[in-house]
Amino acid sequence: MPQRHSISFVLNDQPVAIQADPGKSLLDLLRNELGLTGAKQGCDSEGECGACTVLLDGRPVRSCLTPVGKIAGRQVLTIEGLGAPDGLHPLQTAFIEAGAVQCGYCTPGMLLAAKALLDRQPEPSRGQIVEALEGNLCRCTGYSAIFDAVETAAARMRGEGRDQARAALPSPPASSATPVGGDALRRDSVEKVTGRAKYVEDMAVPGLLHARVLRSPHHHARLLSLDPGKAERLPGVVRVLTAADVPGANDLSDYSRNEPVLTPVGDTVKMKGAPVALVVAASPEQARAALEAVGVQYEPLPHTFDVADALREDAFPIYQGGNVLTSHRLAHGDLDAALAGSDVVVETGYQTTYLEHAALEREAVLGYVDQEGRLTIVGGTHEPHWQQAYIARLLALEPREVRVIMPPTGGSFGGRQDPSPLLATALAVHLLRRPVRLVYSRLESFTASPKRHPYRVGYRIGATQDGRLTGVRVRIAANTGGYDAHGQYLPDFAVVASGGAYRWQAVDAQAQSIYTNGPKGGQFRGFGTPQSNHALECTLDELAQQLGEDPLEFRLRNALEQADVSFLGYPIAESLGYGAVLKAIRPRYLESRRRVEAFNATADEAVRKGLGLAGMWYRFGKSGSLRVEAHAELARDGHIVVYCSAPDYGQGIATVMSQLAAEQLGLSRDLIELVNADTALTPDSGIQGASRATYWVGNAVCRAVHNLELAIRGTAAELLDCPPSDLELVDGRVVVQDHPDRSLSLESVAEAFDSLGKSRRVPGFFDLSSQFPEETRPKYTPHFVTGAQTAEVTVDLHTGQVKVDRVVAVHDVGRVINPLDARGQIEGAIMMGLGAALMEEHVPDHSTGFGSYYVPTAKSTPEIEVIPVEVPSYQGPLGAKGLGEAAILPSTPAIINAVSRAIGARMRQLPATPERVLGTIQGRPPEGSRS
Amino acid sequence: MTEYLYPASVDEALRCLEAYQGNARLIAGGTDLMPDLRKARISPRCLVDITRIPALDQIAVTQDFVEVGAAVTLATIRDSAFLNQHVPALVDAARSVGATAIQSVATWVGNIVQAMPAADGAIVALALNAEARIVDGHGERWRPVESLFVEPGVSAVDPCRQIVTRLRFPRPPSPSNGGPCLVVGTAWRRIGRRPSLVLPILACAVKMCLRRDGGRIERAAVALGPVAPVPYRARETEALLQGRPPTGEVFAQAGRVAQGECHPRSNVLRASREYRLAIIPALVSDALSTAAERALSLVQ
Repeated sequence: MPQRHSISFVLNDQPVAIQADPGKSLLDLLRNELGLTGAKQGCDSEGECGACTVLLDGRPVRSCLTPVGKIAGRQVLTIEGLGAPDGLHPLQTAFIEAGAVQCGYCTPGMLLAAKALLDRQPEPSRGQIVEALEGNLCRCTGYSAIFDAVETAAARMRGEGRDQARAALPSPPASSATPVGGDALRRDSVEKVTGRAKYVEDMAVPGLLHARVLRSPHHHARLLSLDPGKAERLPGVVRVLTAADVPGANDLSDYSRNEPVLTPVGDTVKMKGAPVALVVAASPEQARAALEAVGVQYEPLPHTFDVADALREDAFPIYQGGNVLTSHRLAHGDLDAALAGSDVVVETGYQTTYLEHAALEREAVLGYVDQEGRLTIVGGTHEPHWQQAYIARLLALEPREVRVIMPPTGGSFGGRQDPSPLLATALAVHLLRRPVRLVYSRLESFTASPKRHPYRVGYRIGATQDGRLTGVRVRIAANTGGYDAHGQYLPDFAVVASGGAYRWQAVDAQAQSIYTNGPKGGQFRGFGTPQSNHALECTLDELAQQLGEDPLEFRLRNALEQADVSFLGYPIAESLGYGAVLKAIRPRYLESRRRVEAFNATADEAVRKGLGLAGMWYRFGKSGSLRVEAHAELARDGHIVVYCSAPDYGQGIATVMSQLAAEQLGLSRDLIELVNADTALTPDSGIQGASRATYWVGNAVCRAVHNLELAIRGTAAELLDCPPSDLELVDGRVVVQDHPDRSLSLESVAEAFDSLGKSRRVPGFFDLSSQFPEETRPKYTPHFVTGAQTAEVTVDLHTGQVKVDRVVAVHDVGRVINPLDARGQIEGAIMMGLGAALMEEHVPDHSTGFGSYYVPTAKSTPEIEVIPVEVPSYQGPLGAKGLGEAAILPSTPAIINAVSRAIGARMRQLPATPERVLGTIQGRPPEGSRS
Repeated sequence: MTEYLYPASVDEALRCLEAYQGNARLIAGGTDLMPDLRKARISPRCLVDITRIPALDQIAVTQDFVEVGAAVTLATIRDSAFLNQHVPALVDAARSVGATAIQSVATWVGNIVQAMPAADGAIVALALNAEARIVDGHGERWRPVESLFVEPGVSAVDPCRQIVTRLRFPRPPSPSNGGPCLVVGTAWRRIGRRPSLVLPILACAVKMCLRRDGGRIERAAVALGPVAPVPYRARETEALLQGRPPTGEVFAQAGRVAQGECHPRSNVLRASREYRLAIIPALVSDALSTAAERALSLVQ
């Protein structure tokens, strides 16, 4: 007889019998009813992301698309059944060792897809690996490390045989290993490869309520009325909250000066997706149903997504006072004279587009009132202490009444700087005094979350016949969308990135941040700088071509040197490696050029290869205070605890902090515990943006640890009766130099601290305020990193399709603290830059998820070579600089320059879709282009 | 709560459908069905899963036909040695649908019954002259797949009352089979905004029957999508090819004819009508060349 309701199957080798709705998805069953949260939901259960992949009778399936009825009598393997921490599968081990795990959200699905492959094909080719993983999106790693890991695991499994397929946990670096610069494994990878890491959606909380945000369907409209009555009477609905319920200031504070948490009746919504009401119900389904029952009336208003429209004299004002949010200008030297003295002047107009962060974890925040009655918010963020202040302001509380905790987080790329989801959750928890979770749908994330600002950039740029740059005039119109969302700060970043690490005789650069009714812009890997750098590096390529100059030699001839006056009008304040970067890439560049020329000499008429080069400079560590704090503590049992706020959303910064502390003390990383990004436990180490954490927070950690070491020596010196300078830390003991018999364990030193009444926890500060006196202090510290990348592409001239074959990335990052993670950051950035170059484009109203916004998949991955250039920083910890964002800057223009050179015409609009490439080949101007 | 039934035979499946009088629905892979269920675009009271009916999961090669059962997954097609050797267009089309984890469970029949104008499986089915075995309360019959598409997303097959049990298409003539004077080659071309995991901007399937001496094209089938409300068979192009020699010049001409007879639409995300039209000649002539090369390679 056919089966219903009662379903028996084998789950991770154990027979299971359940009662379930057979039409529901396996993903929901696993996560919600069986408590197996290793399978993740990254899309709206449309099968678009692969994060929910499990094995059904050994075959990979999307559990979100698998009805529970299908598993009857069959074998299901989830990540929880692949290998536990004490018995990892070789794939799990290899993923950790290869740096294939960053945020970890795609990891369970990737691992299972890879396992299905290796079970069928123990000796897969690279192509088979790519095909097997093609359906699993990863936004962090750039895939290469994942391919490497699968190859390594396959080789080991073949070598070791099936019986020994379960390898031991990779051993952490031995205590003698150098904590910095070695192959330092991540602190959290084991949790992530076993599916044990608990992200916000994975946390089980008794009595949890579920919140959903009602959002404007209009791009611009006046909110006339809101009637929650009918919705509140629906089953399971607890409350419908509106602006009238906000106890304090209904805003996002200085993050976004004109953006409400919930739009008040009578006010206007400035973009589609603007928040209007917050529905709280007993289940996510009930909350979703209630959204549709809230009575809302709008008066639609004229709208535009186009900065040119918004700037017109007769434009409909989105805000009183006009549609320009802020502008910034940088000018020095005599531009007219510089251009007049040029032999060649080129003018260009470049356009970029809205981009989506597309982190695999959707916006998800959990809130509850803890046992001390304190409002506690758990959610991905870049600055827990700032969120604490925002929440306190919203709710008219004291900051100490609010605790913000950073959980394991599935990627950010800047997207999680938006406080909106945390504030909305806090409002619900505070008013209802019950635990609440808010999870955006992917559609909602696409509609309402911040995007990369689209730019229109116009250059006039000159050079002499001998290839020396003269003057640069640049005008940038940045689309900040419907709300400020930090767009107020954008013009400065846009301008600074528009000049690069080059010598200029004269500069006139201006940028405006302009309101439209498009999605709000926000922080996104390199905030405001990749767009400018793209236009600059493409324009330089055009100029080099007009001069008949080699693009590499042209850049090298004009490369800024340390003591030079920079584009800013003054020298920069950190070590500069741009010349070294360009010299380091030269051999690879010449190899690529030979390869491309040889190919084109014999290729048929339908296909051409191109080689592109682009450089960059990136101002890192710009934001926040010049005084950053961290703490170090000698725990009672003798290990060291480091306290700081360096949120880790997958980039691995927590591991870096541990490495720095271990290196500073000469101790094994095993002895270092890190307490990170929790306002109740850690000091405020400032916002984590602009790739500042290693340099700024890392420095504070080093200083805290150094101060602790001084205190340890001081106390130990009294006990050992010798000068503190005679003491050293060896293997967790304090030893008198040359007298190994005279020593103390750190545990006994800790005991002595307590008996002497000395604090075992000491602060450390990294403070540059005296180096930049207030009177002459620039708004942002002039610290820059530089890099250059080459891209080799193949273009189908008949269809406009582009394949990126190879990318070489050379970056000066100062001293590399964690080589594996540094490579991972750069490879991930390259793939994100590739997406921006060729496929990614958020089109308002049309881009609703991963099926309509095209992030690169495994098959788009080029061969990538990463070459670090380690020009030590003057002041960074152990010589390190910032990295995470910078690497994306050259990727897009290098690819576009390669395409332009392959087709013999300039691609000036992003992304270079097959349609735009073919249009450019055939001499059709891109749609919507105007200069 | 939905019922979920595993009938043991096609007859039992039909009886299940009948018993629910339109409120039961067939399910095979379910990869298109699940989002519809979740969003309540459909709300059947019962799902009738045909994937455990014996023999429906088989690919059978008979004297004249290749038959593919309704429970045969795209992964099975993708990995079939026979199809890799003889019908590469079908293999490549199967590989184009979603990704491995979709192909694990999704079926060719399901892809066709969804009736989307860009469905890879539907486009290749047209080029192969595939037929569908339709079973319902009135009996069984073969119908050309081409006749099953009503409008975008609407199939002539009613999944609440009818079952497509298998597809068949003529077995490619091979030296040992039937075609003393013919050789057959197939090809698949597809362009998208990224290499895969995306709906196509345009896809093209070709099957070409050549005289063994390579002298002329006996007949060719050319199918494209999305260039019309339903998967499209380019008959003017086919007429041009018939009897002509398989040369680059002829294929280029065929591409231009295809361009003239197709009527693609603009899609904000994927491509404009103009672009789709612009690449049809390259896509079609490229697919024809590959198919001809493959056919002629059988002669050596």
